[in-house]
Amino acid sequence: MPLENIPIVTVSAGAAVGPAPLDGLSGNAPVLLREIAEHVNRLLATGESSAIDLNALPLTPADLDWLQETLGTGEIAITLESDGDSTLNETACPGVWWVTHHNEHGAVVSRFLEVAFVPELVKAHPEDIKIGLEHLDLLISGLS
Amino acid sequence: MQGPLIDTLARQGVTRRTFFKYCATLASLMALPPSAGRAMAEAMAASPAAVKRPSVIWLPFQECTGCTESITRSHSPTIEGLIFDAISLDYQETLMAAAGHQAEEALHKAMKDNEGKYLLIVDGSIPLGLDGAYSCIAGKSNLETLKEVAKGAAAIVAMGSCAAFGGIPKANPNPTGAVSVSDVIKDKPIINIPGCPPIPVVMTGVLAHFLTFGSLPEMDSKGRPKAFYGETIHDRCYRRPFYDQGKFAKTFDDEGARKGWCLFELGCKGPVTYNACATVKWNGGTSWPVESGHGCLGCSEPDFWDAGGFYKALSMPADPLKMVSAAAAVGAAAGVAVSFANRAKKSAAKAGHETTTLADLEK
Repeated sequence: MPLENIPIVTVSAGAAVGPAPLDGLSGNAPVLLREIAEHVNRLLATGESSAIDLNALPLTPADLDWLQETLGTGEIAITLESDGDSTLNETACPGVWWVTHHNEHGAVVSRFLEVAFVPELVKAHPEDIKIGLEHLDLLISGLS
Repeated sequence: MQGPLIDTLARQGVTRRTFFKYCATLASLMALPPSAGRAMAEAMAASPAAVKRPSVIWLPFQECTGCTESITRSHSPTIEGLIFDAISLDYQETLMAAAGHQAEEALHKAMKDNEGKYLLIVDGSIPLGLDGAYSCIAGKSNLETLKEVAKGAAAIVAMGSCAAFGGIPKANPNPTGAVSVSDVIKDKPIINIPGCPPIPVVMTGVLAHFLTFGSLPEMDSKGRPKAFYGETIHDRCYRRPFYDQGKFAKTFDDEGARKGWCLFELGCKGPVTYNACATVKWNGGTSWPVESGHGCLGCSEPDFWDAGGFYKALSMPADPLKMVSAAAAVGAAAGVAVSFANRAKKSAAKAGHETTTLADLEK
């Protein structure tokens, strides 16, 4: 079989049709800013929080770096230690949180941009608070 | 299990936040909107003991138990495994304590009590040869058992390539007349989760979907959940840029192999295999075949065992008959005095075990 018949398309690394240009940016990240703005508008208008699944979008590692850098760093950085670390960091745009979940080996398992006053995961669940109250009562009963 | 799932998880040291985090990731893997993770977590965590957990019956037929191993031993202790606490696994020969008549009793009780509502999981193919005598459980052929248990099932999950497509038992010459679940059952919703074995999280994802929404997730033309089998291994492979640049490993120990170039010429079946290995990976996200330097075998595709050899590049003739005639022509031209069949056999064996080189491709 001659080589030409093998369906392999060869493109040079830097060509426009390649997987990504040399800097690794696909051009998909900047448009996300508008979508984030939409979500922030909704949060302000209705109080409804929302999230964007960054792993579900065709973003290269360079795109993600660009986005993270562009959104900047805010005042709050939260680390959740459960089954591997999760970081929930406020960006320079209040209400926009960069959420990264790691597994116990430290690998990133999912990434979200959450638009909310406080990320969903940070809030204590009423059921858990009830358990906490029981514990408090136990502590109080031990005082006497 | 007593009490809601979340209490069981808490006893195992899994907090609510850990569980919610897991569900968020699961929803992401299943390409569901981020809000679905929350819905899943709420639905699964809150389902109290008062609400009867859905009954699941797991039937093993012509199989190697690899699928069960994959699900139950992914890495421990797993939330994947704990999700099973959200269901009532009423019959699973490998895992259940009961045996013999007791086990059969449990099966029939579950079928009767949950008529029309239980989820049936099948791993292994069903032999039709000799009236199904090749594989029998409790004096009944697998065919009889499947038909009987499928009748009252809400839906069927065909776990692994054998149940989904016939798998290795169906490989040429298929001595037992093995067929898939969908070859036998035509009147029930069937979802195929192929793979040899399938990825644990795919199983959990389908279960979580069933628990949350009470239905099976969206499927492709081969009955596979689109969320996990929507793209080929090749499309999501981290070595894909090397394929696009025409950089290929030619042997398993050359410079290209060391540099992690594309394994296409070494027989990788990634371009024609739909599965989530490239993104979900194996062993708790540690690695997967291509990352460890070996091409994809295509184990989640129908008839992967007969696809013409694991080390033959996809562009080579996959049909063994064509291989024989090509090799015979070479033999005749060279005037070698060995028998037609022998020569062909030798060449085919040679081609099967040696690396595919450009010279092979030109034959």
